[in-house]
Order: sequence, then structure tokens, then C-alpha cells
Amino acid sequence: MNTIASTPQTSALVIDDEPAIQRLITTILEVHNYHVVTAGSGREGLATIAQRRHDLIILDLGLPDLGGLEVLKQIREWTQTPVVILTVQDSEAEKIEALDSGADDYVTKPFNSGELLARLRAALRRADKGKVEEPVLRFGNLTVNLAARLVTRENQAIKLTSTEYALLRLFVQHVGKVLTHRQILREVWGPEHEKKTQYLRVYVQRLRDKLEVNPNAPTFFRTESGIGYRFFANWKTAVSDAS
Amino acid sequence: MSLIENRLKSFLAAPWRQYSASLLTVLAVSLVNYWVQHWTGHPALALVYLLAIVLLALAVGRGAILFAAVLSAFAWDFLFVPPRYSFHIADLYDKITLATYFVVALVIGQLTARLRTQHEIEVKAKLALESERLGRTLLNSVSHEFRTPISAIVGAADNLRAEGGLSPSQDRFVGEIESAGERLNRIVQSLLSAARLQSGQLQPRLDWCEARDVIHAALQESAALIGDRPIETKIAAGPHLARMDFVLMQQALSNLVTNAALHTPPGTPIEISARFEGKELLVQVADRGPGLPPGEIDRIFELFHRLPNSKPGGTGLGLAIVKGFVEAQGGRVRAANGAYGGAIFNIFLPASDAPELPEETP
Repeated sequence: MNTIASTPQTSALVIDDEPAIQRLITTILEVHNYHVVTAGSGREGLATIAQRRHDLIILDLGLPDLGGLEVLKQIREWTQTPVVILTVQDSEAEKIEALDSGADDYVTKPFNSGELLARLRAALRRADKGKVEEPVLRFGNLTVNLAARLVTRENQAIKLTSTEYALLRLFVQHVGKVLTHRQILREVWGPEHEKKTQYLRVYVQRLRDKLEVNPNAPTFFRTESGIGYRFFANWKTAVSDAS
Repeated sequence: MSLIENRLKSFLAAPWRQYSASLLTVLAVSLVNYWVQHWTGHPALALVYLLAIVLLALAVGRGAILFAAVLSAFAWDFLFVPPRYSFHIADLYDKITLATYFVVALVIGQLTARLRTQHEIEVKAKLALESERLGRTLLNSVSHEFRTPISAIVGAADNLRAEGGLSPSQDRFVGEIESAGERLNRIVQSLLSAARLQSGQLQPRLDWCEARDVIHAALQESAALIGDRPIETKIAAGPHLARMDFVLMQQALSNLVTNAALHTPPGTPIEISARFEGKELLVQVADRGPGLPPGEIDRIFELFHRLPNSKPGGTGLGLAIVKGFVEAQGGRVRAANGAYGGAIFNIFLPASDAPELPEETP
């Protein structure tokens, strides 16, 4: 369904052993102008990746032959193509391991197509731009000036401690991406503190208290149960002030 | 071989049978010894007794072995050591042999028995580990097998709507498919949670969590079922940290809030609050509904227990899961009726040790 001829198609590889899920994802993606290739097992998936480049990989963690985690690790040995994991509830440990092993994001079954497409788009954008490097970022009424280390909410300057600022900077530089507790703790407090989840809990709450409209119903700093946090903002508002 | 071993083991389970086996063995060996003594002489007969003790130790317990050791030592002494048919021993050499025999028989008996119990413990542990691994694999695969078709149903319905062009009645049918699929998913989730609890497969991952955070996550999870019901969240400023498994606690709270929404009149508020009480963190869900029937308060947490006159659609699993999940995290849950009506559910989590926090002046 190549509806818009001028837009180059995004190619996606779907590695899943379930024909029903393969068909479902293929249909959703083709409607949205992706070129879809499917693989029914981990080995077939790895072989397909070796043959040609894809813009995006959707990988089911419950593969019968190699196991999704093993496939992911082998992919990450030589390519940084974005990988979005498909998994079921109650598998937090597995999701964390996948994210720490280089998966870009995850979608939990049963998923709706809007959620899947949003995750894929976000992963593609990050792969395209890498880390956000604009000096000034705007998210609705929140502005983060990375060059001047200045944060404003509704044009009011907000005072942040240096740790609060470091945490906020990490979040806004990874808009839309889920960050595991371990990833955040290593980045902000250092590898020796990677198990001190309490630091993270306290500081995320402080950022919410200072920056959210309703700290009890946060929209920016979203909790990913048992896994980590995701800074969520509509990307269209996150444009540079300079442009 | 193992069949004979098992038969023997079950036959010898009763202590009196073990002692009888010891007695019979010593008697039988004594008969054999009586027969062969002319060719071997009496010192070698002690070795035949010893052999019998070793074999016996493979089948009976410590007490019966001790009994056999004492009995055989006396039998050898009484029947074969000169002067015969008396417990008196003339020769120093025989005295030393008897003493040595006695010690060796006891030690061998003890060692074999110990080896045997150790082996039994290892076999049991291996079996337990094996069945636990099997149980977990089975649950994971059941979870995967159920969720895949549910994903296909919900996803297909969702896409049907997204493509548009449906007549009003077609749109309604798609809505039915979607909500039935989602309900099926919730039931599968409940059944798997209950199965994990029942089979002891639940392994909480305790870590510091913020009550505010868990409450919000639980409210989001049950948003579809709460609808436009007013929710009041009451938490004082400042951290409310306790060690818990975020996912289990979220599920427990979500079950309580969903329950409150299902069993109270539409439009009545649900209040959810958190505070420290003594050395515990209390998370409370209170509603303004009819409250709990007095006789039912103790029974509502039982598996498959449902209140009389409760609406159809429930599984009777929700509150049992709440109890199981909370207790797995070292906490407790209590139900009561509020002073001004409505049901109150209290979850208490241990919070005696304060987390180590970084020092930074704001």
C-alpha cells in the first residue's frame, strides 16, 4: 500500500513465531506505509538482518528457538538498528534485561495499534537524530535551556538543585524513551549507586512537584511499573527556540 | 531395582518393622554362622555379622542399626566365643575383637544411615527444584498462549475501527469485541496471578518505591473501569517510601479500586490515601458504598468467595490476589466498615528501616 509515492518507505522486520501476530502487525504497518518483512524464528530473523539493512526491528521475546534476548544480544553485537520488543505482562525482569541489553523500547501484549505506532515512530526518530542536542527545548509550558542551564515553567524560572537538573537533562535528552532504573542511576549518580532506587524515587517526585501541573497525576515524568521512567511529551512542541 | 528399593522402603516405614528386620537378620546370620563355624573358626564369624550390619544399614534407620549392632555383638560372644554359651570371654584377643567389632558396627551403621538421609534430602531437593522450574515454564507458556490470541482479537477489532467506514451497528459490534477481549485479558491476568500464588511461584522483587507513584500507576491501570468516578488522593507532602514490589502493589491497589468502583453506586467518590502509621506504611482505599455485610468481613479474602447478591462478572479472585500479593511483600491487609458508612481496605507494609538518601541542600 504505497500511498504516498514521494515518501521513501520505512522498512521494518518483524520477528515473531505467531502467524496471527505477524499478520496483525504487517497489516497495521502496511496501512501506515511501512515495507514489512517477516521472520518466523530467531535464526531466520538473524539471517534476514545479515542479508539487508532494515530501519526498524520488532522482536518478540517469546521465540521458541533462540529466545528473543539472545537474538537481541546478537543483533547488538554489530548493528544499532532500533529494536522494539514485544512481550507479555508479568515479565518485568525480562523487559529490564532487554532494555539494558540495548532494546530501544517495548510494547506489552495485548497492544493497540496507536501505541505500537507511537513507540515505533519515537524509536525511529531517536535513531535518526541520536541524542537531542538542541540548546533550548520546549514541552508545552515547560522550557529547558540546556545551554544556559535554565528551566522555566509558564515563564517563571524554576530553581533546581544540581542533581535535579542532571536528572531532568537526562530525561529531556531522551524524550519518549523508557529508561530503566539502573540506566538512570548509573548516568546521574554513577555506577556505584546503580541499586539505590530510593534516590530515583525521591528525585523524580521532586521534579514532579516542581514541574508538573498536577504532581499526583504526572504527564511528563511517567512511571513504567517495575522498570523505570519515561519522559513523555508531544515531540512537535519540543522544537528549538533558535529555529 | 528401584521398584524393589521403593517396596522395601515403604514396607520398612514403620519403626517396629525395622527392629523386627534387625532381629531377623541377626538370627539368620547366627544360623548361617552356626553352620560354617567349623570351617572358619569363631574370629571370622564377626566379619560375617559385620557384613550383615552394612547391608542392613542400607535399609533401616539409626535406632534399628544400633539395636542390630548390640544384638549381634552379644550373639557372637554368647554363641561362638569360648567359653561358649556364656557372656564371659577368656581370651584377651577375643575381648579386643569384640570391642573393635562393636565400634566398627556402630560407625558403619551411622555413616551409612547418614549417607542415606543425605541422599534422600538431595533427591527431594532436586525433585522440588524440578517441579518449580516446570511450574514456572508452564505458567509462562500458558500466559504467552492466552495473550497471543487475545492480542490478535483486540488488535484486529482496533484496526477495523481505525480503518473507518463502519455503520453504527458494525461499530457497536466492534466495540463488543474490544471490550470482551479486554475483559478476557483481565480474567487471564487474575487466573495467572492466582495460579502463581497457589503454586508458590511468586517471587516478589522488593525495592524502594514511592506510595504516590504506585497509587497513580494503579489508578491509571484501572482508568477504564473507574470511568468518570471522582477519585480523591490524599497524601501529605514529602516522601512516602517503603520496600515493595511495584508491580504487585500496583495490581493489589488496582484490584481494590476496581472492586470499589464495581460495588458502589455510580457517582460516589473513592478515596485513596497513604500515610505512615507506627513502623508501617498504610495505603487505604475507602468508598461511600453500602459497606461490607458484618459476617463477611473475615471471609472476603478467601479464594473464589463472593458476597451474596454481588453483581455477575466477578471471578471471586480479586481480593484473594490482593491478600496474597500484599503478604508476599511482608505486609498485611485488613477490611472494615467506615464510621460514616462505606468499606475501607487497609494495606500495611513494613517501613521500620529508613532508606539511605543522598545529602543535598535544595
